[in-house]
Amino acid sequence: MTTQLPPGMHLETVDDKIMTLNVGPQHPGSGHMRLIIKVDGDYIVSCDPDPGYVHRGEEKMAEYRNYIQNIPHLERPVIHDSSNILYPYCLGVEELLGIEVPERAKYIRVIAAELNRCIYILYWLAIYGIFLGHSTMFMWPAGDRELFIDLLEAMSGARVTHAYLVPGGVRNDLPSNFEERCLRQVEYFEKRLKEYEAIFYQNPLLKARTEGSGILSRTDAIRLGTTGSVLRASGVDFDVRKKEPYDVYENLDFQTIVMKEGDSYARSRIPYLEMFESCRIIKDALKKMPKSGSVRTKLKPNPKGGNDEVYRRVESGRGAIGYYIVSNNRPEPYRVKISVGSFRNLICMPYLLKGEKLGNMPAVYWGLNYWPVEADR
Amino acid sequence: MSSGTDKDVEVKDTTEEHSDNSENAKSDSMSKDEAKKFYEEKGLDLSPDVPVKPKPIPAFEKSLADKISSKFGDKIRVDYIRSDRIRVTTKREDIVDVAKFIRDELKYDHAESVSGVDYPDSSEIEVIYHLGSYTDEKLGRQIFALATRVPREDVPNPGSDATRTPSLRDVFYSVEFHERECFEMFGVYFEGHPDMRRLLLPEDWADIPPFRKDFKIKGR
Amino acid sequence: MSTIAPQFRLSRFIGSLFDLIFWVILIFSLVGLPIVFIVLFYIKLPVINGQLMTPYLAMTWMADPSRTLPIVKNFMHTTIFRVMAFPGFGFAALLAAATIFVERKFLAKMQLRVGPLYCGKIEGILQLMGDGFKLMSKEIIIPAKADKPIFWMGPLLFVGAAGAFVSLIPVAPGWVVANPNVGLLAVFAVIGFFPIIAVLTAWAANSKWTFIGGLRALHQMVAFEIPLILSLLGVVILSGSLNLSQIVESQEHFWWIAFLPIGAIVFFITILAELERVPFDLPEAESEIVAGWLTEFSGMMYGLIQLGTYLKLYAFAGLFTVLFLGGWNGPMVWPPFPQDIITQGITIGPVTAKFPGLPLFDQEMLNGTLWFVIKTVGVILLILLPRGVFPRVRIDMILHTGWYKLIGLAFINIFIALGLLYAGVLGPGGLLH
Repeated sequence: MTTQLPPGMHLETVDDKIMTLNVGPQHPGSGHMRLIIKVDGDYIVSCDPDPGYVHRGEEKMAEYRNYIQNIPHLERPVIHDSSNILYPYCLGVEELLGIEVPERAKYIRVIAAELNRCIYILYWLAIYGIFLGHSTMFMWPAGDRELFIDLLEAMSGARVTHAYLVPGGVRNDLPSNFEERCLRQVEYFEKRLKEYEAIFYQNPLLKARTEGSGILSRTDAIRLGTTGSVLRASGVDFDVRKKEPYDVYENLDFQTIVMKEGDSYARSRIPYLEMFESCRIIKDALKKMPKSGSVRTKLKPNPKGGNDEVYRRVESGRGAIGYYIVSNNRPEPYRVKISVGSFRNLICMPYLLKGEKLGNMPAVYWGLNYWPVEADR
Repeated sequence: MSSGTDKDVEVKDTTEEHSDNSENAKSDSMSKDEAKKFYEEKGLDLSPDVPVKPKPIPAFEKSLADKISSKFGDKIRVDYIRSDRIRVTTKREDIVDVAKFIRDELKYDHAESVSGVDYPDSSEIEVIYHLGSYTDEKLGRQIFALATRVPREDVPNPGSDATRTPSLRDVFYSVEFHERECFEMFGVYFEGHPDMRRLLLPEDWADIPPFRKDFKIKGR
Repeated sequence: MSTIAPQFRLSRFIGSLFDLIFWVILIFSLVGLPIVFIVLFYIKLPVINGQLMTPYLAMTWMADPSRTLPIVKNFMHTTIFRVMAFPGFGFAALLAAATIFVERKFLAKMQLRVGPLYCGKIEGILQLMGDGFKLMSKEIIIPAKADKPIFWMGPLLFVGAAGAFVSLIPVAPGWVVANPNVGLLAVFAVIGFFPIIAVLTAWAANSKWTFIGGLRALHQMVAFEIPLILSLLGVVILSGSLNLSQIVESQEHFWWIAFLPIGAIVFFITILAELERVPFDLPEAESEIVAGWLTEFSGMMYGLIQLGTYLKLYAFAGLFTVLFLGGWNGPMVWPPFPQDIITQGITIGPVTAKFPGLPLFDQEMLNGTLWFVIKTVGVILLILLPRGVFPRVRIDMILHTGWYKLIGLAFINIFIALGLLYAGVLGPGGLLH
């Protein structure tokens, strides 16, 4: 073959024994992405993830808007976890502009971030359930998610895309009876979580199916640079909230969940257990929060960053999210790079699916805690 | 600082075009507090909002930076040392050696992100690896930024032009997809990368790499 | 102003109705009636009350409501009624429709939802009809490279096989469409068709997903057919017959589930696998292979497959009832038919109407049907229950279960049956008979 192909294109050889399956983008088990899977019988020979179907160029868009205008569109990559994906941006801009955040705002941010983490994990868990054919596990988390959506709606006024965190604090103060309402709903939710354990995580068929599938060893988890629940399921004790505490996380009482197995079951169980920790954090933060005070440091209109750069990261529902912001004396950032957990965990997919059975594909794929929209940005 | 002096001047020029020159000149003659008050009264905001306060250089980060500069000398330049953040710039010929040293001696074990930054004024593209560590407890909060600069061509031909740099994939396995993204978005070809294909863009993308500064968003 | 009928005039509308009626009557009397007579000429007509039923006589009697019932009753003993209405297709389809509705509400309650709610005012009872109309009105899309005759034939064959299965199930004493002496063997033969249909349609659709799904269906059904057949041998040994009606009669005193619980459990699990129900719904696992071998079906073709699936569900539940739960046997709870209506007729004011030919069904048949339906619905609910509780299993797990565990259990079941027979506890001339 003498044809010179441009980079990005390649020729494929066809083997009669190997069947190529396009899992996605129009496939009920793919999300907004494509997995090009080659199977030999029931075994996956190779897997080539092809993301990018929802690439919107958030990073490019951020270069055209000033620091405040960037808030609403930067949360779009993962609207279910919108507070957490805005969090590092706010921290970074605060560091760039030298803004101090009021103490109460720090607690409110933590509460919003943890509520959002629960929303995301419940949504993820619902899809994990339906991917494994467990329709009850699809309906229950999707219904219980409403609890937190209602709470965040009371806080911010919007159900899903809150844009609640802003550089300098949060957009508005909590409503009057928020503390007791939040406490009541969180306590109810903790009871519901125990029922999940009974119907889903202790289910013998689920265990038989996911335990031992897609094992990622500790060494490989580190070498592949995974993050979030994938990393912690492989026995690495790393959580940005503990290692590099931002805002008031160091004052709060919680622990990192780590499991040794590194299989699909452990990866699916860690986010579930983290919801208990999130509830603990919320309750603790409600207790320790200053009862009154300012929640936002007002910025000057059209603020400018110096000739500087900053890299800040937080722990989101899918792992660490890092923002690399370069500024050059202009109201707009010169360059914004979002390093998201989903994109970092994407590298596991060809690694783990190779040699796996086709029936394990949904469990391994969605167990990676991967959100295609976020990975594309 | 990341950007060269030439670029700084240029940027300032563009800033002044947008703002009022006489106002800017006045601000130099006033003290900082006076200027602030003056602008707040007029509702204007011209000066960068960063307060200039020199921070003490943290000792632990300094020791890491000293280790690497004692090894490589003037092959590298330490851009800044702040709490939890170190940034080092090197030439692209030396980047593999520096990265190997960082991995083996400083115990950073994975890359969090690989970012490209386009500087059309100095005709360069900067590639920055943000490295972190899971294995070393002390390095948990540290991010090591390793930067290099590659030449930039005005009419890019990704993969075939001079915009290329050695890949760090053999040193840090985790950069594989990040480098692919950098390749399609900035046209930086990473030599030695086993699978230098496009990742996010469609296969039939025929325009220049979209994150370069001369690729304009429509209507902006 | 609505633009549906801007030129509407009531007089024209009524005129058009008369027009329509005129044409219908004209065409019926010129074309329809001759055809009826030609057909009736070749059909052997019954003798009712000592009179040969000629077409004129039948129409005369139809006009008199008090003399209609004998015709209806006579019709009910024809084969066509048994195939079409009871205990054949109509009865099974009605039960299947009820099953779908119950399944949806049942599952919704399990998952803290409300399920169908709006269609039909009362708890969405007409939802199924709406779904049916939707499926009928949808376009049927055939893949360009499909093997079209086989692809078209698939759903029809599927419903046909399911209907054949339904026809073998006895509902009440004497009420069964087909009653061969080797009824159980006929059941096995009919079950054997389903994997072939799945593979044929999957291959004919010429798509990767249907291909994988069809192969999975084939593997799964073949793997579970053997334990299915083996698990039923115990019943055959104890009852000494392959005729399903005789098997039911042999359970007049004891249900076989009391002696063969292992066989019943094995048979229940194989039912789940044969029906592709959760947790064995791998051939349709949507997160892996879209919809398996049903991927390319659309519109009413998919509707037919669904109909066939639920007919099959009814038939399997009925078979479980017949073999293990005593079929129609049960205490007599149906009230006897009031004799006054037969002897004296019904008096409403000055008019006394006599209904010769009542009762339409005897008491024993109604009671048997009642018990059969109660037991079958119970089994169907048990089959539906796992859908809310279990995730899907993997193909290697399911094959392992089928080939290793269930076959072993089925053999244990056979040994229990043989032991009971040789110990003289059960069987012909046993202690309990």
